[in-house]
Amino acid sequence: MDLQIFFQTIVNGLFTGGIYALVAIGLTLIYGVMLILNFAHGEFLMLGMYLAYWAFTLAGIDPYLAVPIAALLIFGLGALIQSGLVQRVLSAHPLNQIILLLGVSTLIIGLVQFFWSAEAKSIHVSYETSVIPLMGLRFSIPRLIAFLSAMVIALGLFLFLRFTRVGKAIRAVSQSRDAATLMGINVKYIYLLTFGIGAAVTAIGGVMLTPNYKMIPTIGQQFGVIAFVVVVLGTMGNFLGAFFGGLIIGVVEAFAGYLLGGDVKIIASMLVFILILLFRPAGLFGRRRA
Amino acid sequence: MSTQSLTTATPKPRRNWLRPLFRDWDRTQMTVSFIILGLIALAPLVVDSPYYLGILILATLYAFIGVSWNIVAGYAGQLLIAHIIFLAVGAYTTLVLLNQFSVSPWVGIPIAGLVAALLGVLVAFITLRYGLKADYFALFTIALMVALRTLFLKWEFVGGALGIGLRLSNPSWLKMIFDNKEPYLYISLALATLGMILQYLIYRSKMGKYFIAIREDESAAAALGVNTSLYKTLAVVIGAALAGIGGGFYAMYVTFVDPPQVFDLGLNVEIVMAGPIIGGLGSLAGPVLGALVNKPLAVLIRGFLSAERSGTSLIVYGSFLILAIMFMPRGLAGVLHSIYNKLSRQSRESKSGGSQSGSA
Repeated sequence: MDLQIFFQTIVNGLFTGGIYALVAIGLTLIYGVMLILNFAHGEFLMLGMYLAYWAFTLAGIDPYLAVPIAALLIFGLGALIQSGLVQRVLSAHPLNQIILLLGVSTLIIGLVQFFWSAEAKSIHVSYETSVIPLMGLRFSIPRLIAFLSAMVIALGLFLFLRFTRVGKAIRAVSQSRDAATLMGINVKYIYLLTFGIGAAVTAIGGVMLTPNYKMIPTIGQQFGVIAFVVVVLGTMGNFLGAFFGGLIIGVVEAFAGYLLGGDVKIIASMLVFILILLFRPAGLFGRRRA
Repeated sequence: MSTQSLTTATPKPRRNWLRPLFRDWDRTQMTVSFIILGLIALAPLVVDSPYYLGILILATLYAFIGVSWNIVAGYAGQLLIAHIIFLAVGAYTTLVLLNQFSVSPWVGIPIAGLVAALLGVLVAFITLRYGLKADYFALFTIALMVALRTLFLKWEFVGGALGIGLRLSNPSWLKMIFDNKEPYLYISLALATLGMILQYLIYRSKMGKYFIAIREDESAAAALGVNTSLYKTLAVVIGAALAGIGGGFYAMYVTFVDPPQVFDLGLNVEIVMAGPIIGGLGSLAGPVLGALVNKPLAVLIRGFLSAERSGTSLIVYGSFLILAIMFMPRGLAGVLHSIYNKLSRQSRESKSGGSQSGSA
């Protein structure tokens, strides 16, 4: 592997990894605050993609302009799922929580298949194959935009959690639900907000993918599984862990794809995942539990 | 009531032979399950249409596979989400043995159970060796499913991306290929019946009590001297073996499997999870009750929604899971149980009330 291919692979990996990071941040936020594994998480990404497709084919709206629409709608959907369904099983057996969310995921996939059919769809925009050549490397414009926006959103969310009152309340709830309640934080509202934000961020990732990514109704499962890999790698509930984990998995996959071929690369992620689960279940950023 | 007390003084003899079957809730569940299976066995007498027989075959097969998951997830409480891997491996084993080595399915399906059990041993060993519990165990099984799907897609010997189909030949008992549906129905009924009996025996045994102890509180069970590693392994292996056997028969019945079809969470929801959850996870009758509702109702609703459009079955199964968890977390068996309790309390009250008024 010569040096140029090496760097190009890293660039490609980081570009995909940026989206993984965004999806994983949403997932880790929900897990950190509610201690619930959102098995319907990938479906928010998929819905983001189909909303962008809808906006594009029905109204000719450029995918990037569809970001706020998709974010708002999916925020609403996430909040609805949280308050209507998830909130009621928070103290139930984990199996019931998983089954419920698998049901939500199956239902969403089914609805999308019902209305848009199971066939692969894609959006064609003028800039979908444009590249910026720089130092012998090729930077695909839509993927560069996706990567940069993912970085900006991740940073924005990080600052929001760190410095705003609501952000601090979210972190307080994730540290101790009881203490947060005693301090007068409306935990139910924080749950609703967190689920909505987690879903919306993921949907933005989906919209960002649309200019050069084919969509099928089950694409969310693919990303959902990878998001779990990332979240475990970066320690469940850890924001920065999910961010860097996303980039790492993106690069690992890019190299596996280059060395083993496109469709085998998922095996690399699963191997990383299984190894992490087995040898360091607390993740890269967590303290080892006894 | 006082008028009834006179009649209860001389119990009617004709009710006695039924009473042992409903004496306690466990027996009631088994009786109800066997009545349902018996009615299905009689169905070919009145149902001619292969289409409806096909639904009954799948419903009984789902009951059997539901039993396999009920033991691991319902009784032992293990979050074995991607249980379908065992079914898939069993299906592949049976078809590969038949196609490549001309091994009759009558031998091949038990071997499929064995192979799935070995995979179960491996899963249990790895997860226990590294102490993966609850959420992490669930994620591990899903990661394994995705990895196996890719592996089978690339593995040319078992058909790769093309999948593997049953080579159609003349109907023969030896090859488990029939030209009508009845034999399939009786095989799946036999499986479901054996599965229900096995589940009952496990439930009544010490092992079953240990499973439930582990589900309720694993550390407490360990503190009381239950070898939790051994019994968790046993639960996974028994569940895996049964799912492998069910997978073998599934392959013979549907005649074709490929990796995206069988290593799939959607099929997992339909074939493994929906039945026991609707019927009542962790109850004896759950798998049969659920399967009875699961497949036929799904077919009915799909027909209603227009079956040509894809996605309808996913909509149906997704809604099933959501509705069951939200409104019926103990399933149909739970609903029946509360009715049973009410009835038995009433009969007790009327009996004790009757004897009091009789003595007064």
